[in-house]
Amino acid sequence: MTTAVHETAPTSHGGGLSRLSAGLFNEFSWIWAALIVLFGVCSVVTPGVVRPAALGSLLPFAAILAIAAVGMTVVIQQRGLDMSLPGTMTLAGLLFAKIGFLTGSTLLAVPLTLMIALFIGTVNGLLVARVNIAPIVTTLATNAILLGAVRTVSGGSPMSAPSTLAAFSHSTVLGIPMTLLLALLFIVFISIVTKRSIAGRRFVAVGQNPAAAAAAGIPILRYQVGTYAVAALCFAVAGMLFTGFIGSASQTAGNDYLLPAIAAVVVGGTPFSGGRGSVIASGVAALFMSLLGQMVLALGAETSVQLLVQAIAIVVAVTARYLPDMWRAMRG
Amino acid sequence: MTTDHRLLEMQGVSKQFPGVRALHDITFDVRAGEVHGLVGENGAGKSTLMGVASGALVATAGQVQIDGQPVSGQPDRARELGLAIVRQEPALMPDLSVAENLYLGMPRARRPSLSGLNDWARDLLKHWSDDVAITPRDQVVTLNPEQRFIVEIVKALACEPKVLVLDEPTEHLAAEDVERLFARVRDVTARGTAVIYISHRIREVQKISDRLTVLRDGEGQGTFEARGLSEDRIVSLIVGGELDRTFPAKAVDGDRATVLSTRDFSGPGFSHVDLDVRAGEILGLAGIDANGQREFMRALAGIHRGTGDVRLQGKPIGIRSARQARSHGISYLPGDRHREGIFAELPVRENFSIRSLGRDATAGLVNGRCEHRRATQAIRQFAVKTPHAETPIQSLSGGNQQKVVLSSVLAARPQVLLIDEPTQGVDVGARAEIYRIIRETADSGVAVIVVSSDAQEVAGLSDQVAIFSRGRVVETLSGERVSEDRITASVLKSTEQRDKDYKTVGRFWKWAAGNSAPLAMVGLATVLLGAVAGLSNPYYLSGGNLNSMLTLAATLALVGYGQQLLMMVSGIDLAVGPLMGLCQIVASFFVLQELGLGAHFLGWILLLLAAIAVGVVNWCLVEGLRMHPMVATLATYMAVQAVSLILRPVADGMIDGDVMIALGATIGVVPWTFIGAVILALVMEFGLYRSGLGVSMRGLGSRQEAARTAGIRPKHVRLLAYVGCSVFAGLAAVTMIAQVGIGDPNAGLTYTLSSIAAVVIGGASLFGGRGSFIGALLGALFIVQVNSVTVFIGLSQEWKQYLLGLLIIASVALYSKSRQKVVPV
Repeated sequence: MTTAVHETAPTSHGGGLSRLSAGLFNEFSWIWAALIVLFGVCSVVTPGVVRPAALGSLLPFAAILAIAAVGMTVVIQQRGLDMSLPGTMTLAGLLFAKIGFLTGSTLLAVPLTLMIALFIGTVNGLLVARVNIAPIVTTLATNAILLGAVRTVSGGSPMSAPSTLAAFSHSTVLGIPMTLLLALLFIVFISIVTKRSIAGRRFVAVGQNPAAAAAAGIPILRYQVGTYAVAALCFAVAGMLFTGFIGSASQTAGNDYLLPAIAAVVVGGTPFSGGRGSVIASGVAALFMSLLGQMVLALGAETSVQLLVQAIAIVVAVTARYLPDMWRAMRG
Repeated sequence: MTTDHRLLEMQGVSKQFPGVRALHDITFDVRAGEVHGLVGENGAGKSTLMGVASGALVATAGQVQIDGQPVSGQPDRARELGLAIVRQEPALMPDLSVAENLYLGMPRARRPSLSGLNDWARDLLKHWSDDVAITPRDQVVTLNPEQRFIVEIVKALACEPKVLVLDEPTEHLAAEDVERLFARVRDVTARGTAVIYISHRIREVQKISDRLTVLRDGEGQGTFEARGLSEDRIVSLIVGGELDRTFPAKAVDGDRATVLSTRDFSGPGFSHVDLDVRAGEILGLAGIDANGQREFMRALAGIHRGTGDVRLQGKPIGIRSARQARSHGISYLPGDRHREGIFAELPVRENFSIRSLGRDATAGLVNGRCEHRRATQAIRQFAVKTPHAETPIQSLSGGNQQKVVLSSVLAARPQVLLIDEPTQGVDVGARAEIYRIIRETADSGVAVIVVSSDAQEVAGLSDQVAIFSRGRVVETLSGERVSEDRITASVLKSTEQRDKDYKTVGRFWKWAAGNSAPLAMVGLATVLLGAVAGLSNPYYLSGGNLNSMLTLAATLALVGYGQQLLMMVSGIDLAVGPLMGLCQIVASFFVLQELGLGAHFLGWILLLLAAIAVGVVNWCLVEGLRMHPMVATLATYMAVQAVSLILRPVADGMIDGDVMIALGATIGVVPWTFIGAVILALVMEFGLYRSGLGVSMRGLGSRQEAARTAGIRPKHVRLLAYVGCSVFAGLAAVTMIAQVGIGDPNAGLTYTLSSIAAVVIGGASLFGGRGSFIGALLGALFIVQVNSVTVFIGLSQEWKQYLLGLLIIASVALYSKSRQKVVPV
């Protein structure tokens, strides 16, 4: 521990203000500033990207990425990583389409798909927390199994999405895309749960220090398993929305979301050390990364350059957060 | 035997830690051939003094000379000069064998050749005892604490040190081993070694020592001839006439209801404990560390499982988990604050409220204002010095952290409060406040149990004291008899011996936890799958199929070796896949038919440089910028792929046909690349166990701190691992040229995940220290086999995935389970 010891006595009158400021300005607020700056840069350099029409086509995909990133965030808050995102997301899209056609009811397809996702996540969680297999290995293996299931369900060919879902995914409320609304709902809900509910607080504590949480009488297994279940639900919702949005359930839908989702979490500032984290920051980072990609493309660069810029964004995001520490270490 | 030749001399040594003066102006010398006892209470500075002597700590002032040579903060040099130390916590690497630990524990000049290592180690162990139940091949992780301690002693003796330091050597030892140790100590002193013997147990010290030095609160109390001192005189020197700390007044006698009682309560580390604690009373548990008092408390807290009768308010209760203990109103303040007490990065507010969130919540939602009010109130009431409630708890001083945790535990409104080491790492000022809070809590009717290794603290705080020795309560003191002298005397004079305990583990589990089990199982599974496929479809055994399988396996194995190398030191490289593509693309610009040999040569060199560059970048991100290996290599994954796509947006650049034919050359059906991969696996595996570097690498992955003590430099070794990993990926790319033949940016991508799968199936641990290159080879063969067999026995495509996933889980679950079985609790 190289941290300084603060000698200041607590001041009662400054309490409310300091609470407010600590709530507003922390390591997760960087990403807001970055997004605003990027938006400004875009409007000057590539104004086409920030026109309503362009945003209208960008936002739904950013929203789907944000939902996937929310799931990844909670897992990373528990010091894990969920590599089964592609399998879960793709399978959910397919199952949804299939059940929708078999039963003719979207209303039935949604809960059934979510239940299957819940099962997948629970299996992941039990393997990690109970059987003690490293998260990356567990989810790598379940991803392989899920991709097998994708083949079994699809029979090797893509399926078109039920028209009701397609219509739902494309619908707007007061001009705001439905996917974006759902993403906001998701982010706000999970953020409130983790920050404000008893369960969420305990979840954060388990992620930060499982041994201390156990000593404090928190049933840690429940939280560790639940985390993967929540993540799988997020991936499933992302998968269903994606299917609805592009109008068909492909067998590769989730593949392009794994790395961007992890990248969004990292750029958003959720550390791999467990506990702390912000699903809001991850969601904002998902938008940031999508917008950044669009800007690079609009500048006439290839997808390759887009990838390179994203890699740099990750390194910059991580190092930027170390700067205060390094500064303090140099002075101390 | 004793001569005047001074082997260790310490002159005016002082050591200052932030806020604590650990040693003050200590002068101390040890002569050749003598046993010099070093006694004092916990925190008197004994271990710190020896830390300074061994170079693990640097003195703030003063000089240290070993055999006339000055040393200061260089563990390597102290070791070369002939100082060996047996620590209370053995500095051993759990995944290495006993023999390898002994090997790394030697100064470089004394290390034997690795080929005869096990015989060498067996001799050393034999020298300790003829019927020692430890074999050189045993992994240290499978030894119990007593056996580990014996290995630590054997290691120190094997160095044939000039100065041998024994820090609390008899705590973990059974009676016969204590005798054995004393005999060895007499042997080495007869040969002129100086021995420093640190212990709490005065009788032992008196028995073995020629002279003894007493430390109290970091100051020397003088050096004496051991024979001329009575036991009582030593006790009074240790305790001293120090100023009484201020303790709050004790409970007034009265009729009090018993809140918690245990009868015949046993568990790991303690047995048959009968104790009662009454409302409003503080029960102190004293004893030398690791004598069961702490374990007893942890069993009451529900962290360990205990058996026996526990009653709360007269009703029998079961405590099967910490959660259950909490629901009974039993709150626990852990002794190891960093590991179990605080949530370091979370704010003070959350650290405070986590144990009593129900008080702020309605319908499961925490009311932020109420929580904040409660937190600030606690900060004021307990006088916690913090800028505000949102400061991360880790930036507070130890005493303030402790006050936050104590306030948090109290906020849960317990009936029974368990406190382990109330003031460890707490500055003097905060101590009195913590004592006051504990007493006030008791006065409000709570039953309090306190464990402390500080006898004065137990005496000052407790109404009743139970003395633990070797897991049992040997004496209880109450009323007037609760005094520091009484406690210290009865703790120090207890001579109860620990029984030997051995855990029996089934042979299957022992085998399954070893290094060879994964190889045998994966090998067998591969052969079985092959047999099934061969029987059901003759084409499986055709030359063409075998050749293509082995070709693919060679590539996967090579990149697997890289991954394995890195995983050995707890790293991981997600970028190997894209790197393989990049290497191939580099080749696709130079190794072309129309270009001459010079260009070909340049191409191969550039390919190698590209690989090395990526490895160095990965290392810089991880070591320099302290990025998580997964995040760092994810960034390089994207960057490398981007470079590939910039160089070759679409696949292009046919590699010279002659080169491809050369790379695809075979002997019979076996491709040369596969033979090369097998040879490499054997060579690397040999190096892993039979070269100093290989053993160091495994040691580093197994436990970094112990490896550092053994003189291994983590940064250098990790650089080697990162660059090695990338070079292997480059090599794999070369063999891939024969299969792809064109600069394709996507050619390697799948290898990232399959390389991880291959090494994990081969038995590697993601946490480092365990793994095998032969395992990686077999894992690669197995994956290729599964892919091929599903086709040949007519299973549909998806079975490939199902089998792969299920088999990964099954194998890793088995490895994990077997490890849990053999590791002693």
